[in-house]
Amino acid sequence: MKRCGGLCIAMLLGWATAALAQTWQVDATHSALTFTNTYQNVEYTGQFRRFDAEIVYDPNDLAHAKFDVSVDIASLDTQNSERDHTALGADFFDTAKFPKAHFVTTAFRKTTDGRVVADGVLTLRGVGKPVALTVRFKPDGDTATLEVTAQLKRLDFGIGSGQWADPSMIGNGVIVRGHLLLHARP
Amino acid sequence: MPLRSTEQGWGALVRTFHWLIAVLIVAQGVIGLTMVQMGLTPAKVRVFALHKSIGMTILALVLLRIAWRLTERRPADPAAMPRWQRRAAHALHLALYALILALPLSGWWFNSTANAPLVWFGWFDLPSLTGGYDPIWKPRALLLHQTLFWILVALLAGHVGAAFWHHFRERDDVLRRMTIGPRKRNGEAR
Repeated sequence: MKRCGGLCIAMLLGWATAALAQTWQVDATHSALTFTNTYQNVEYTGQFRRFDAEIVYDPNDLAHAKFDVSVDIASLDTQNSERDHTALGADFFDTAKFPKAHFVTTAFRKTTDGRVVADGVLTLRGVGKPVALTVRFKPDGDTATLEVTAQLKRLDFGIGSGQWADPSMIGNGVIVRGHLLLHARP
Repeated sequence: MPLRSTEQGWGALVRTFHWLIAVLIVAQGVIGLTMVQMGLTPAKVRVFALHKSIGMTILALVLLRIAWRLTERRPADPAAMPRWQRRAAHALHLALYALILALPLSGWWFNSTANAPLVWFGWFDLPSLTGGYDPIWKPRALLLHQTLFWILVALLAGHVGAAFWHHFRERDDVLRRMTIGPRKRNGEAR
């Protein structure tokens, strides 16, 4: 004990805080990551079928909350094979160069009207931008549902720039929604 | 030119429908064959949207045309026309109506199975016929649309050929009464 001194205490403290914050396991079959956009001014919804999310969340301990989400872009499905094929190409998501999108939170805060907002950085197509998620968390014993919503602009990330920038062809605004079923990790 | 058709010739409304739809069908054929060769650009998306809008316009026009036709008589066939030719002509006209209906409908069906937007000249959305993406029926709907197109091309070749045959060989009023109008009854006594 004498020999490790401050380092051991720091490690012990770290372990203790990690144990306090609740870690959750995502139930992939009951979870979905979807988005809504417009194509030729007609709204459509797509989803990413594969994503990993590390969720540490306790509504009473936002200081230690953390979301770390990695999305497999090639799992895109907008129920239109031509659109999906085009979207993965170099003009859009460019999965050959950027197969993953990554979101990690930097801080959680409560707004004046009581909502929880998670600030973080989304890295998409090699561009990192701050993105705020609205968080709704409903615990239910050993499980919980987590609903998150974010509003992005596709052109901020260079998705479909140049000849495809016209928002009457493809809307610039994208609403991303996550619906996650969580199981408490012991 | 009377609005309604008479014993001698087609009325103004039928002629307008005929030539409007004819021009749109030719445009559709050219646009359709061109657009599938285009590289993927916003221009291609716009040309597809135009093809869909014209197709829906033809569908609406042919429905109106059929409704109008049901309310009036058709001009008499030339007296010299043999019975088999009359039957062939009427069968061809019926088949043309069926195809002019079936082409936009099959296109609408294909568009529905592909889950692609269908907005009439940017004005309003038309609903999906399949309630969403249907990858099983999509290739069949496309094949049907393409097959019907080539059948229509063949029938139109027969239709145009027959019109010219009437005009230049038979020297009757069949083409004239769909264009500038029939000769006066006593005109042939010149």
